[in-house]
Amino acid sequence: MIQVIGGLLLRAIVVLSGTALLTFALLWNAPGDPAQTIAMARFDALLTEDVIDQVREEVGLNRSFWQAFWAWLGPLLTLDLGYSAVTGRPVGPDLWAAISYTFPLAFAALGLGLAISIPLAVIATKRPGGWLDRFAVGIASLGNAIPSYWLGLILILIFAVKLAWLPALGAATPAHAILPALTLGLGVAASLTRIIRSGILEARGQSFLPAFRRRGVSDRAVGRDHIAPHAAIPVITVFGLELAFLLEGLVLVEVIFGRPGLGTFLVEAIMARDFAHVQAVVVLTALVFVTVNLIIDLIYRVIDPRIGESDA
Amino acid sequence: MTLTATGLSAVRSGRTILHPTSLRIEPRGRIGLVGSSGSGKSTLGHALIDDLRAQGRCVAHVPQSPDEALDPLRSMAFHWSEAEIALGLAPGSADQAGLFQALSIEGGDLRKRPWGWSRGMLQRFVIAMALIGNPDLIVLDEPTSALDPVVAAATMELLSTFLKGKTAAMILITHDLGLAARRVDTLMVMEAGRLVEQGPTEDMLERPTTQAARSLSAHRNWMALPC
Amino acid sequence: MLDLRNVRVRRGRRETLHDISVSLPAGQTLAVVGESGAGKSTLIAAILGLLKPSAGQITWNGASIQSIRPALVMQEPRAAFNPVLSLRRSIMEPVAAQGIALADGRLDRLCAGLELPLDLLDRRPTEVSIGQAQRAGILRALIASPPLILFDEPLSALDAVTQKHTARLISDLQKEEGFAALIVTHDLGYAVAHGDQIAVLKAGRIEEIADAETFATNPQSAYCQSLRAAAIALGGLEAAA
Repeated sequence: MIQVIGGLLLRAIVVLSGTALLTFALLWNAPGDPAQTIAMARFDALLTEDVIDQVREEVGLNRSFWQAFWAWLGPLLTLDLGYSAVTGRPVGPDLWAAISYTFPLAFAALGLGLAISIPLAVIATKRPGGWLDRFAVGIASLGNAIPSYWLGLILILIFAVKLAWLPALGAATPAHAILPALTLGLGVAASLTRIIRSGILEARGQSFLPAFRRRGVSDRAVGRDHIAPHAAIPVITVFGLELAFLLEGLVLVEVIFGRPGLGTFLVEAIMARDFAHVQAVVVLTALVFVTVNLIIDLIYRVIDPRIGESDA
Repeated sequence: MTLTATGLSAVRSGRTILHPTSLRIEPRGRIGLVGSSGSGKSTLGHALIDDLRAQGRCVAHVPQSPDEALDPLRSMAFHWSEAEIALGLAPGSADQAGLFQALSIEGGDLRKRPWGWSRGMLQRFVIAMALIGNPDLIVLDEPTSALDPVVAAATMELLSTFLKGKTAAMILITHDLGLAARRVDTLMVMEAGRLVEQGPTEDMLERPTTQAARSLSAHRNWMALPC
Repeated sequence: MLDLRNVRVRRGRRETLHDISVSLPAGQTLAVVGESGAGKSTLIAAILGLLKPSAGQITWNGASIQSIRPALVMQEPRAAFNPVLSLRRSIMEPVAAQGIALADGRLDRLCAGLELPLDLLDRRPTEVSIGQAQRAGILRALIASPPLILFDEPLSALDAVTQKHTARLISDLQKEEGFAALIVTHDLGYAVAHGDQIAVLKAGRIEEIADAETFATNPQSAYCQSLRAAAIALGGLEAAA
């Protein structure tokens, strides 16, 4: 087991460092002069060549790519994320502030997605092909087809503008998180419903189930102890992918709802070519992915130890 | 106490696969339910189990292969206590040690999941599990066809020995009259969803009357073939 | 004549066949009996050339086994056919692709011998009974007149009556066509009834090799005696009076 975890960790480190290198290279080689962009973001005024050169010197853009990369990576190994090229402030506290808006929203969306999709899938599969099932599949397909920015705007229009029940912009109170969480959560629910539904249907077809019923095991117990674990395997598999979609959606939704979270933080940093900020978000995202996939791998091995036997 | 079931029948997608059939099973009865594949013998077995259950009798079922009886994600111990609970017993109250000894699976590690055991041991575990509630009847549906012959023969022998002192009746469902003939005293022959002939094993081997019984009897082993 | 001399086969790090030597003259039947995991399938794969022996030779009349294209009859009759094609296409297309010209009326003759109505061949594998599908599998193996046919548990998916019937049809066709048959089975009764020679495989080694009569009455090794006792207990063999 320790060997397995070690192997997974090693893979995580490779993924992390690869991602960091790749984004750094993309940002470094993007068209336009980064020094000029940073200077504009900093002073927001007429710029002379002198000022731009000064910024170039200060931020270290006059170095070679590898020098710059190592200069960023070195401190990171001691968990030092460096300084913003625009504000000159340390990245850590600003990133933390953004996270404190984003992570609760992400968790709320995931929770909402699960809270809607699990009961919906369970009810839908009570009678496969029945009207409830078709209704659930229809709703889920519709949910998958609707882009989150459009859904977000519609929700703002209905609940903030017309009904004036909820605030739309900003993040001042917890109530401000309701509409963005709903926007993201509905999207998550739509794709999870389909996956959970087919997972349950597939698990129901297992050839050993009739024997359990014939043995007198109640339908409830069969569902809980035999169908659910089998149905969980494909659901857990796609959960990692689901997270990717969720992060993608977060960026858009935060911008639409004007929340100062990670998405807004990233968009502003890219616009300003703020290397330290972009890299911090990328490393954090990669870290979240790697951790989630690590946990998924371990859950797998607990549910079905045959998985992973092949690479032992 | 004699078990009776009347008017057992089954329809699948509009087709009658089991015509109304009535059965009478005496305590300690050893019955072979034989027929070619698709003759409806498993269907009759299932219908019989459901009917007797509805009458409040304890009936156990052993399917063809352990793959069809056990969940690969659950431990052997889980299966065992689940079967106890299904019978309304407190977990751990069945005579596990006695049953395991009778079926010669004492050494099995119950923390393992099914794929950690050999197939022969799994099938004997399934049989032991079927015997937990002291059933009035145990229905075995091709219980040995997924096993290697030496293991299969030993399994049938252990079960026969165990049942000797009990009042439980046994139904052995099989396509192989040769297999049934050595274990049962009554044979019932199925053909096309009907019970076409029944009688003592000796009579059926010597004087089969229907075409189905004659064919099964003539092909009952590799040496008794008509030339 | 099929000849295996000191054949060893490795699968991964494990050697699954140890030093197998056996021969099968043309027109005869060799039954290979063993329990699951004994190495029966490995043996078939080696003869078909799907697994390369790590030592030893497999020859036909002294030449490489590859020169004769042995045919194979598989265990699961329906799985052995493409489910969307008619049996006729599955059977005839390989023949056409290899440019083999069939003698006039060969297909009709074989179908008659296998008790397969000709129009049945226009159905798909799932539209015929499992016994018919297996007979179609035998037809496919026979059609190009290979000198050697390998049967991998050819009867285990069939019921007791169909088993004996199919075994008889194979035997009768063998007399007409003269192919050598290597039959892998776990059923000692079948082996005794239809094998000229029987080789019992255990854990990758030949435990005992003898004629059918010996196995039916008095095999030498303790393991083969237990196989015989099991076959009798399961009703497949009748104890000698």
